[in-house]
Amino acid sequence: MSNPLTSRPTLGQFSSIVCFKAVITGMEEALGEKATSIALIAAGRQRGKNLAKELGLSGASQDLDLIADKLNEAIGANGTHLAAIEKIVAQGDVIKVYCSETICSAGEPQGSDRKCTFTLGAVWGALSEITGKKLRGTHTESVLRGGTNDVFEYTTLT
Amino acid sequence: MSISNIDGILQNFVSGTADVQGAALVSPDGLPLASTLPGTMDEERTSAMCAAMLSLGERIGKELSRGNVDRILVEGENGYGILMGCGDDAVLLVLASKSAKQGLLMLEIKRAVSEIKVALS
Repeated sequence: MSNPLTSRPTLGQFSSIVCFKAVITGMEEALGEKATSIALIAAGRQRGKNLAKELGLSGASQDLDLIADKLNEAIGANGTHLAAIEKIVAQGDVIKVYCSETICSAGEPQGSDRKCTFTLGAVWGALSEITGKKLRGTHTESVLRGGTNDVFEYTTLT
Repeated sequence: MSISNIDGILQNFVSGTADVQGAALVSPDGLPLASTLPGTMDEERTSAMCAAMLSLGERIGKELSRGNVDRILVEGENGYGILMGCGDDAVLLVLASKSAKQGLLMLEIKRAVSEIKVALS
């Protein structure tokens, strides 16, 4: 991929949330919410896997604090601005990822039933690549529905 | 859900059914659960495609008043790709050669779906 800073010397590498959300709602209009969700989660997983590989984290660590720091650096305020990763904790067999300012929830009204798809997938793909485990992810708490964070839960498939 | 049981069911189905070249079971959100696909196929990409395709088929069925979707059949010059829902929890993909008899194939797929549904429950 060419360097976005050289291919867009004036506009740089960032685009508006408004346009990103228009892509999502446009896809939902054409393909339906479910098919769109599947496609975006799959795209996110691919992105997360590639990101973990680029960061040299494949199979590298089971230290969740370290993983949270590395991912936050890559996709948070100092990275691509997809979401801020606040913490990652293990509760039994479940890995819980606490995010804030996710792009999926941005600009949505309180009470909206929108769920994270691309962001859920991106963290999912990265965690799978880093831990070497086959995971299944769901978006369990949302800032749009009374939560303090967008929380993603990942369970290992046995 | 025990993936190893489902792996066994898929392997028996593929090895025991004439003209079947591969099969995969994927979650409705496009996650590969078990597969016996040819090595050249990317499991994750295939799974996402299958789940999206079935979902799109269901939308077509609804929007165009075709009713509930029983299966989705892709017929290419080299054979068939068939998608069938396995309840709410999974989607079955079956790849078969061009020489497969469609009626027999559908019968075998329905048998496999019944077995998978029991394993998933």
